[in-house]
Amino acid sequence: MSDIAKPPRQIQMGVIGPILALVILVAMGAAMNPNFLGWDNITNVLARSAFIGIIAVGMTFVITAGGLDLSVGSMAAFVAGLMILVMNKALPTMGVGVPVVLLGMAVALGAGLVAGLVNGLLITRLGIEAFIVTLGSMGIYRSLVTWLADGGTLSLDFGLRTFYQPVYYGGLFGISWPIIVFAVVVVLGEILMRSTAFGRHCAAIGSNDQVARYSSVRVARVRLLTYVMLGVLVGVATIMYVPRLGSASSATGLLWELEAIAAVIIGGTVLKGGFGRVWGTVIGVLILTLIGNILNLTDFVSPYLNGAIQGAIIVLAVVLQRESKPGH
Amino acid sequence: MKHFVSALALTAALAAPAFAQDTKVIGVSIPAATHGWAGGMNYFAKTTVERLEATYPQLDFVLATASDPAKQVNDIEDMLATRKIDALVVLPFESEPLTGPVQNVRNAGAWVTVVDRGLAVPGIENLYVAGDNPGFGRVSGEYMASKMTSGGKIVVLRGIPTTIDNERVAGFQSAIEGKNIEVLGMEHGNWNRDTSFTVMQDFLSKHPQIDAVWASDDDMAVGVLAAIEAAGRKDIQFVLGGAGMKEMIKRTMDGDAMIPANVTYPPSMIATAIEITAVGMVSAAPVSGNFIIGSVLVTPENASTYYYPDSPF
Amino acid sequence: MTTPVLALSGVSRSFGPIEVLHGVDITLHPGRVHALIGENGAGKSTTMKILAGYQPASSGVILLDGQPVTLSSMGDAEARGISMIHQEFNLAEQLTVEQNIFLGRELKRGPFLDKPAMQATTRDLLARLDCHAAPDRVVSSLSNSDKQMVEIAKALLRDTRVLVMDEPTAVLTQTETAVLMAQVRVLRDQGTAVLFTSHKLDEVKAIADDLTIMRDGAVVWTGPASDLDEHQMAEAMVGREVSDLYPPKSTTVGEVVLQVSGLSVPGFAEDISFTLRKGEILGIAGLIGSGRTETFEGLAGLRPAKGAVRIKGRPVTIRHPWQALDHGLCYLTEDRKTRGLLLQKGMRDNLTLQALHKFSQVFLNKSAEDAALDQAIADFDIRGSRSVIVGNLSGGNQQKLLFAKTMLSDPDIIVIDEPTRGIDIGTKQQMYGFIRRLAEQGRAIVVISSEMQEVIGLSDRVLVMRRGRIAGELTGDAASEDAIVRLAMGVGQAATPDKEFV
Repeated sequence: MSDIAKPPRQIQMGVIGPILALVILVAMGAAMNPNFLGWDNITNVLARSAFIGIIAVGMTFVITAGGLDLSVGSMAAFVAGLMILVMNKALPTMGVGVPVVLLGMAVALGAGLVAGLVNGLLITRLGIEAFIVTLGSMGIYRSLVTWLADGGTLSLDFGLRTFYQPVYYGGLFGISWPIIVFAVVVVLGEILMRSTAFGRHCAAIGSNDQVARYSSVRVARVRLLTYVMLGVLVGVATIMYVPRLGSASSATGLLWELEAIAAVIIGGTVLKGGFGRVWGTVIGVLILTLIGNILNLTDFVSPYLNGAIQGAIIVLAVVLQRESKPGH
Repeated sequence: MKHFVSALALTAALAAPAFAQDTKVIGVSIPAATHGWAGGMNYFAKTTVERLEATYPQLDFVLATASDPAKQVNDIEDMLATRKIDALVVLPFESEPLTGPVQNVRNAGAWVTVVDRGLAVPGIENLYVAGDNPGFGRVSGEYMASKMTSGGKIVVLRGIPTTIDNERVAGFQSAIEGKNIEVLGMEHGNWNRDTSFTVMQDFLSKHPQIDAVWASDDDMAVGVLAAIEAAGRKDIQFVLGGAGMKEMIKRTMDGDAMIPANVTYPPSMIATAIEITAVGMVSAAPVSGNFIIGSVLVTPENASTYYYPDSPF
Repeated sequence: MTTPVLALSGVSRSFGPIEVLHGVDITLHPGRVHALIGENGAGKSTTMKILAGYQPASSGVILLDGQPVTLSSMGDAEARGISMIHQEFNLAEQLTVEQNIFLGRELKRGPFLDKPAMQATTRDLLARLDCHAAPDRVVSSLSNSDKQMVEIAKALLRDTRVLVMDEPTAVLTQTETAVLMAQVRVLRDQGTAVLFTSHKLDEVKAIADDLTIMRDGAVVWTGPASDLDEHQMAEAMVGREVSDLYPPKSTTVGEVVLQVSGLSVPGFAEDISFTLRKGEILGIAGLIGSGRTETFEGLAGLRPAKGAVRIKGRPVTIRHPWQALDHGLCYLTEDRKTRGLLLQKGMRDNLTLQALHKFSQVFLNKSAEDAALDQAIADFDIRGSRSVIVGNLSGGNQQKLLFAKTMLSDPDIIVIDEPTRGIDIGTKQQMYGFIRRLAEQGRAIVVISSEMQEVIGLSDRVLVMRRGRIAGELTGDAASEDAIVRLAMGVGQAATPDKEFV
């Protein structure tokens, strides 16, 4: 596959804006604390970006196709809770070992798929606004996990958690699994968005769903697929999340949906759809995680102002790319 | 429907006394289980209400949980208007927004018991049941100082920015004053495991030598411990949480060196409040005033007393 | 002659390194109607936008009452009495007529809106324009011509001395056009200077006092409209001789490929039956609102429809547009801007959207897509930079691209709704050529059009629709304007004896 000569491109703020914001943040971090660029800190930041990051890649497709999903945070909590319950239940019969972990993973992926499918079907078949459907399912999943946990915390059996832990903390060649999985999801997502008919159809639907329909695109099916894909990715993120602390409660995944949406928009995807880029979303997630990291590493500002700094940087990152949004 | 039928049966069984006596209604309004401690508090509220309903047939309870202050205000207004409550036990979500509505309940002639978080205007409540936040901080600080007699470097994780958190931290700071303990950093972990995990990771990156951590809450301690374990750091001698989560009490009881102690801030204080209020309704015993439940240091020696395996917290 | 109210003198305009207007002079007089004509891409739109303050000139002078001025924005131009009405209306669809007219300059009594006064003024303004829309009607419920009147009323409220209209009649029916023309005359007689563009030369001839013809970004002719006849106008626009507009009709048609019987589209059309043969061009005529578009959208799976459809003899069920395409049937929308093309995207993404499966096994083959675009640009004579977004192409080039896009999926049966709406005469001629060539390749074609000349000139056979039913069929010399109008209006004899009319 090779691109033939393209028309010469000018430097576009839309492309370099988020990268610029990221570079500025990294430079600031490095200047303020020598440990910032240390291997440990970098792997910490990447690994903790992975949950939101994996979800945000799915969110990029949903938003590009003109949709929205507010339920991912509570969906993650629910999937995590369900996964822990099933694994604990299966433990006496299956014992600590690979099969029970695989069972947990299958439950997570399956639950994510079903949750995404339900959202998608309500939106595409019944034609209800995505905002309303997912606002509803957000409340439902959040309540369900509180109910499953009886108001408290669901904890994975200690022995099982120790066995499962390497999925978060272990890795290959010193790179932990969440980072590897995140990278794989990003690469696949980028290819899917850029180089497949599915990605092109998402952009076309988000740009103008009437045009897509009149062009014989299977609009409902593509939309449905974006929600299903997002649900499965929530399952993937949960598989990484559960071994970290081995627990799920009603506080799990709180506001993840907003962080994921913010990351997608910071990365240059258009909120009302029609244009999306996965690599931008990665930059967006890294920017969001780095802000918290840098604020923790320095005593520069009062911790009370963390939220203000985050807000300012999010707005700044979007302002930086304002010029070249397609269609002015 | 089922409730209605069982209520009828109950009335029939107790026929005479039930009609002779006036049934009193006690409203209980608490925040929903949004974190571990609140989950425990919800558990104790529910079990206490069930037990007291069985004990005192002349008492009727209305329990409502609210996920935000506005919902709690609505709950209380509904209780007064539609259930004509004789007493209200309330754990205010926030002090300011609930002061007015609770004042109205009091003005309507009902008994008011306020739990844990005081109202903005003093003197509204008949009974105040609360944990001792400055004491919680003080006990924690004194324990830290006693463990590190030659001084040391610590980091502190704070809760959600609130009066409760401020009082605890102030109590802690005054207790360690002059004890040669250096606080390397304080950040808000928001009583949340995930947030605390991240904050602790960053503390570990920033400070090459940390002797101990005051996590100030057991949920936060879970995140802190996971971060330390993942980083493989051996310099941290112990982590002090708080509030008495059963898993943490268990580890103290079992002699885990990383969790040598705990400081109580019992979610069961809601049970105390409901129980005292019920007694006030059914008897002439005087129950008004302030009831402060002290924060107690839990050590391996006394841990079994504070271990409630059935509680969700 | 009076002093000019607004004039451009030696105005040029560049986008980046490319100059698109070269020293344009144009002079507008009060109380005169000035027509600006030219092919798509000749620079008419840019000229108008500079006149109305939407875009600055790169060089040259704008003279208002003889004085050089700088129009910093459309608001500035409006404040100086220059208003522009776009082809796509600039109205808030969900607001009422009155709210739209007073948008941004609401009348108040104290802190409250003075509704009675605004209603009265609205009624007054609309009465001056001979328009009978009620002030509290919601704009989205109005017809196109009424919307146009609301736009004009809005301009009148702003004491407009110069009214600039971009193709005001493009979306109007003939009756509506006649009403508009009468109203433009009223405005002219009240002393307003009117500038308008149109591709319909008979209109220009009928109403314009002055005429300016542009080609390739420059003025090629200007003077009194009475000096040129329609034929001379067309030649000046195109820059060459315009001879036969329509290609010769085919002599041979093949077997039946599409057979529709008893098709109904609830709410729009009923009992539609017809056949279509290979190599044939079937024209569909009828008034706007007679259900032409809806019938064929129903056929193509874009609307719920019932009825029996056979393609190449096999009965088919079409519930979705992609099913239609699977059977080789494709509908080309009349609404290229909101249903046909992704205006924010480039030419390549638009071209291949409908036939994307041809360019992807697992991954998209972008070089093959680029090659397809090269081919389409060559085949359909699409002009414009490949890097530009489609929304910035001229109407004619958009239409050609839409055509190329449809052809890429290689359908056997093509329904083309309004193939030449809003495009210039040169491009029209090209489009007619393309359509005829497709028929000669053995495809079966349906052309829906409001332009009777077009239906007659292009089609081998004409179906006339009226009130959601087929009112009659005309072939050969029987397909005259007169016969079509009779059928469309429901007067006179039907050409097919087996149908009855009220």
